[in-house]
Amino acid sequence: MKKVLAVIVACVVAGAAFAAGSNELVINSYMSDQAPKETFQKVVDAFQAKNPDIKVTVNTTAHEQFKTLLPSWLTSKQAPDVVTWFAGYRMQSFAEKGMLEPINEVFPGGSFEAEFPGAFKGPSSYNGNVYFMPQSWYWWAVYYNKNVFAKLGLSIPKTSEEFLVICEKIKAAGIAPIAIGAKDTWTAGGWFDYMNSAVNGGDAHVKLTKGEVPYTDASVKKSFGYIAELSKRGYFMPNAASYSWQEAASVMFRGEAAMYLMGQFIKDVAPADVKDSIDFFKFPVFEGRTEYSVDTPTDGFMIPKNAKNKEAAKKFMAYLATAEAQEAFCKPLGRLAANKKVAVPNADAKRGLDMVLGAKSAMQFYDRDAPEEMAAKGMNAIVDIIANPAQLDTVLTALDKERVRIYAK
Amino acid sequence: MKSMSNSRRVAFMTAFYVVGTLLVATWLIPIAIAFFTSLKSMDEIMASPRMWAPPKKWVLTNFAEVWNRVGMARYVLNTIIIATPSVIGTLLVSSLGAFALAFYKFRLNKPVLIVFITGMLIPFQMLLIPVYRFSDSMGLINTFPGVILFHVAFQLGFCTFFLRNFMRQVPFSLIEAPRIDGASDFLIYRKIVLPLSISSMAALGVLEFTWIWNDLLLSLILLQVDRLKPVTLGLANMQGEFISNYNMIAAGSIIAAGAPLVIFLVFQRYFISGLTVGAEKG
Amino acid sequence: MTLKKDKLLPWAFLALPLAMYLIWVILPVFQSLLFSLTHRDTIMYGRKFIGLGNFVRLVQDPQFHIALANNLVWLVFFVGIPIPLGLGIAMLFNQEYPGARLYKTLFYVPMTLSFAVIGTIWAWIYHPDFGALNTVLRLLGLEGATRQWLGDKRYMTLALVFVGVWRQVPYVMILYLAGLKNVPEELVEAAMIDGASWGQRFRHVVIPMLAPATVVAVTISVIDSLRAFDIVYVMTNTKARAAEVLASYMYSSAFHYQDYGYGSAIAVVQFAITFAFIVAYVNNTLKNELQR
Repeated sequence: MKKVLAVIVACVVAGAAFAAGSNELVINSYMSDQAPKETFQKVVDAFQAKNPDIKVTVNTTAHEQFKTLLPSWLTSKQAPDVVTWFAGYRMQSFAEKGMLEPINEVFPGGSFEAEFPGAFKGPSSYNGNVYFMPQSWYWWAVYYNKNVFAKLGLSIPKTSEEFLVICEKIKAAGIAPIAIGAKDTWTAGGWFDYMNSAVNGGDAHVKLTKGEVPYTDASVKKSFGYIAELSKRGYFMPNAASYSWQEAASVMFRGEAAMYLMGQFIKDVAPADVKDSIDFFKFPVFEGRTEYSVDTPTDGFMIPKNAKNKEAAKKFMAYLATAEAQEAFCKPLGRLAANKKVAVPNADAKRGLDMVLGAKSAMQFYDRDAPEEMAAKGMNAIVDIIANPAQLDTVLTALDKERVRIYAK
Repeated sequence: MKSMSNSRRVAFMTAFYVVGTLLVATWLIPIAIAFFTSLKSMDEIMASPRMWAPPKKWVLTNFAEVWNRVGMARYVLNTIIIATPSVIGTLLVSSLGAFALAFYKFRLNKPVLIVFITGMLIPFQMLLIPVYRFSDSMGLINTFPGVILFHVAFQLGFCTFFLRNFMRQVPFSLIEAPRIDGASDFLIYRKIVLPLSISSMAALGVLEFTWIWNDLLLSLILLQVDRLKPVTLGLANMQGEFISNYNMIAAGSIIAAGAPLVIFLVFQRYFISGLTVGAEKG
Repeated sequence: MTLKKDKLLPWAFLALPLAMYLIWVILPVFQSLLFSLTHRDTIMYGRKFIGLGNFVRLVQDPQFHIALANNLVWLVFFVGIPIPLGLGIAMLFNQEYPGARLYKTLFYVPMTLSFAVIGTIWAWIYHPDFGALNTVLRLLGLEGATRQWLGDKRYMTLALVFVGVWRQVPYVMILYLAGLKNVPEELVEAAMIDGASWGQRFRHVVIPMLAPATVVAVTISVIDSLRAFDIVYVMTNTKARAAEVLASYMYSSAFHYQDYGYGSAIAVVQFAITFAFIVAYVNNTLKNELQR
């Protein structure tokens, strides 16, 4: 009898061990930069400590490759349980095809709005369901080298007229007014977002990214035209197409360029002795339009429909939604947490947040608001216009042909 | 050589060393830059526009850091686990096919050969999605066998073709005699043709090892799990979303280049003589 | 040179290689052919047959024309430079002086480095303002010769091809080192030392004996020039544009633009072009064999 009992106990223990061992949570992340990767691991470790019965594995893939592989993963039989992604159209297109798991019930306070600003709900949902868990976001603004401005006695431009004036002054001093790493075409995306929303309003820009406005429309021609004008006057740094975004940043750090429309992460690559001399200001007002929009790309997580361990995935999502987890990730990186209960990490971020709160609307960024192909071709077009401003009409006509084809489903 | 005068001989030798050294030195400038980069700190790289210049401050820790913290050690191990069976597998399997195509006269001989040759020239990217879906349905995603099997299969075209060419050089007498004595064809393959093919197989092996070692796309598609990733993916992952740590990438690449170079050095003598015989009939 | 006509036995040997090949290579090729007739057909969009629609679009696509033209440039330079240069270097290093083996090994190193780092470093060499190339040109007083090597669409492809050539020459050198082993040494030396008749000896004796190696080298270079991808992909940060080649356009369409149908169509075209070269090559090879 003792023997039988022993066997039964052994089986139960083995069974429990087996069951515990097979409670795996697989997370695929694109945070391949060292700092976010390590910080995220700490968050995961904290979750692991609270849930010792779940075995969490994080797989990291570089951003570019991650984007190309994600569609395959979502439909695979071996889909991961949680994936990093961004909000906006790029997420919604997956939801539309039924590839994502709704996460309406994971929020600690009971609803999305309990934890997160209402403005985020739109880009995180589709058709009434929430599919996306925001974690951190950052802003784009015009970063500038304070030393250059001080040396030339310049003040922050508020309007486009003032902006043009200081560009001319900077150029006269032999410094490139605007740095841009056009080899990385996404640097042009920021220019398009800000210019078009400044000139035509945030709503018009949304319509454009939805494919409802032709690129040959007079309004679009106007905003592209401003960029062409900046180029015609020689305000963009020379040979921009040969510089990656990082190399162009380097030019600004050395004081050979004055301004750079870029995301907040530019500070992450600033050498220690230069960091404090880099600051930002809001994109200038064009055409007297005082309402403005900001680019606030939001990163977060979602669960594939094919996930094997949805229960553990949802537990993880619930944890990620908490102020505690969000702060643990965002604070060391100086990013803004999506959770509204988390305090702003530093003074810099406070100014960024204020800028965002004062905005009429938020954009996710051109290549997250529009289909990838459209954004790629659009950004190519802007880089082309910067290189050849006289080609404005031809470029826009060709671009619109692409728009018609891409949005035709 | 005997007919040459002494002074001519000296002139010739000098020319050899001068031209040779200049040539190698110029050709390896990019390699030198890779070394410089791996010995710099990121701050120095970002501070100076002359990104290709020698380091002002020599930083020796990048290699250790890339080995441990970034995990190059495991990536190297994984790549060895993938490449070694792949190379051995494709050599052996292709030798079977090569044997058949070299020694048997049958109507489909030429068409089959053309099928293998054609495969050599297929744009690799074309196959990625179908192979992915197939592997997914067979549960071969995120497994070493999944990747190995594909490498073995894909390299069969090139290897079968080359080995077949070599095997056709084997003197018929060496085949005929044992056959008359009643040896089975498989025995002839195993005991006579294979040993004679060793040198060309070694040559192919070196080339195959280098190619498979440097493969990125296939591993990208089939291996999404970190613990299985090879060096190419490890290096690719060092490209951050926005920021690239050039010095680490350089250090990692130098480490990654180690294995193919070692293989080359070890099998070099076969390499040079082996390819000859294949090329003669190529 | 063949064993008795045996109906079944060769198939016993061919069974495994053919089976593997059919499953992992041939079948996917046919699937890709099928995809080239569909609209988009990525995993997300489902399948919608549009016949030759993708090919029609290709013919009118300016980016495709750019890619074709660039591949032609690749073809010309990738074959035209490494072959003679590789041969010359092979002949040089083939001498039996101490250190020759070191030279050969060092020359092989470019082939062992990953494209990621090669691309980054060459981008630094090509940088218009601070790159090594333009800096050297300026030092030599040749400011007018400096260019935006990677930024100016007129020079992008050439700059990339040069990197490819830089990497291909060692490979061709190895092929010729192998081929030279077959050429009697006296002939090579005689060709290198004798003054007046050097050119003739070389042309009429050495070159023909190197024909097999040349055929291999040319074929591989042709194929690789039409397949060029990694260098373009890495050095243009995945957005090739003016430097687009067939392989990169195929990859962008399939994986960045979610248009797998179109990407497959490009692949079919690339394959057809390469296949044309195969036919010539195979005929040549098999013809030589019959002569034995």
